[in-house]
Amino acid sequence: MFVAFLKFLMRWFQRLIVLAALIALGVWLFYIGREHQIFLDNKTSGNFKALEQINVSVNGGEISELMQRERDVKKVVGPKFEIRAEIFDEDGEIVSTISKEIKICFSKDIMINLPTLAAGEENFIVPAPK
Amino acid sequence: MVRKFFDIIANNAVPAVFILISAFAIPLSGFSASYLVQELLTRIGRNSFLILSLLIPIMAGMGLNFGMVLGAMAGQIGLLFICDWGIVGIPGMVLACLIGTPIAIILGIFCGHILNRAKGREMVTSYILGFFINGVYQMTVLYLMGWIIPITNPNLLLSRGYGVRNAVSLSGIRAVLDNLIPTVITNPEGAKQFLNVNGAGSFFLIQLPFFDGTIRIPLATFIIIALFCVFIVWFRKTKLGQDMRAIGQSQSVADSAGIPVNRTRIIAIVISTVLACYGQIIYLQNMGTLNTYNSHDQAGMFSIAALLIGGASVSKASITNVFVGVILFHLMFIVAPMAGKNLIGEAQIGEYFRVFVSYGIIAIALVLHAWKRNREREAARRSLRGGNGGKA
Repeated sequence: MFVAFLKFLMRWFQRLIVLAALIALGVWLFYIGREHQIFLDNKTSGNFKALEQINVSVNGGEISELMQRERDVKKVVGPKFEIRAEIFDEDGEIVSTISKEIKICFSKDIMINLPTLAAGEENFIVPAPK
Repeated sequence: MVRKFFDIIANNAVPAVFILISAFAIPLSGFSASYLVQELLTRIGRNSFLILSLLIPIMAGMGLNFGMVLGAMAGQIGLLFICDWGIVGIPGMVLACLIGTPIAIILGIFCGHILNRAKGREMVTSYILGFFINGVYQMTVLYLMGWIIPITNPNLLLSRGYGVRNAVSLSGIRAVLDNLIPTVITNPEGAKQFLNVNGAGSFFLIQLPFFDGTIRIPLATFIIIALFCVFIVWFRKTKLGQDMRAIGQSQSVADSAGIPVNRTRIIAIVISTVLACYGQIIYLQNMGTLNTYNSHDQAGMFSIAALLIGGASVSKASITNVFVGVILFHLMFIVAPMAGKNLIGEAQIGEYFRVFVSYGIIAIALVLHAWKRNREREAARRSLRGGNGGKA
């Protein structure tokens, strides 16, 4: 009787482990396979004025040239991405270059305020427009 | 001798008719060999998994599983969720399978229990059950999604705020499996042109000097189909597979031998439904568009038609039947409209002809099966009476 009960428990335990493994697999797939929209925003935010020109590339893809008050959107897959930006002055000379790895984790879409990013502040991620 | 010849003809009448029609239609269509091979390879990759899912219920003596549309619906629900969450690529496809699996298992158990109450009439019961579950699916997708079931992507929802749109783009997973191991077969001249257009990417380029044209092979899909075929061959040799074959031959004998008939039949339907779920996901990733309310409708009918055209019957089907069927059936799909256009000047005639032949062939196969079964019964009765027809 006790052995039968143990077997019964064992069987359910095994099923629970398989179920938990499948749920974990699902969560992992969700994490690595999610497509995110990354809005690149070159607008004045608080004390940080819009940049004259900034060239941005996400994950080494096509470069977006953003002038003052311009916005672009890129799509990335996975929980993190790399952003590379070249900031230009009024004469068209490169002032500085930024390269940064950004983690999105489970959130869907984000917007990056480029003037804040260029200023080296941490709060450059803002909610994406709907 | 004459009887044996007659038997061979009767057993292969359907594929023979299709080979004959194709032999006339291919030259009339005017398509090149490389175009036909490309189209056939694409369609074999797209449909074979769905058709293979029909084999296990046939093995268990449950006939053609029209209830496979239940699995197709489960797969579509998985796809709708990944579209809403924005999961793309192979992870998206696997996640859709993961979401569809429990739904397919539940529907398969439900279908199996009902079919156990309708022994001997499984095909018509599963066909009608497909309509019933289609109603439940439509209610879920049209009214509950976006209202009770959270769907947040506005591109998926109808303008009223709930219910899923009629056409959903699967651009996130389009051809991801087909292009996972990109393989191209061409001749040296074609290879140069291909490299000029596509660049030296990460794909297998097979050069055959005698080959005319360029064809892309969905290698990853073929590998999965091959694995599925190996699974079926292995499954037939397992205890469960042997039980199913025993049940397929005689339920009463299997029951007397201690095989749990009803349970085994339910397992057969569950396996078929789950595999149909995966098959529908593979099918739709190739198509790239989900027709929310209709995609599953034709899945069962076309798969069954293809299997029957391959020479299978209600009680016997093999992997060979699947591939012969998918080639012959889809060859008709490809060449019939153009053959019709070139012959009569109207492509629609060819298309009507193809649809007429597709459904007609199911009817012919079922009639042939009934006729053959009656003939076998008659022969068995005659042999019991001493081979003289019972006359004293």
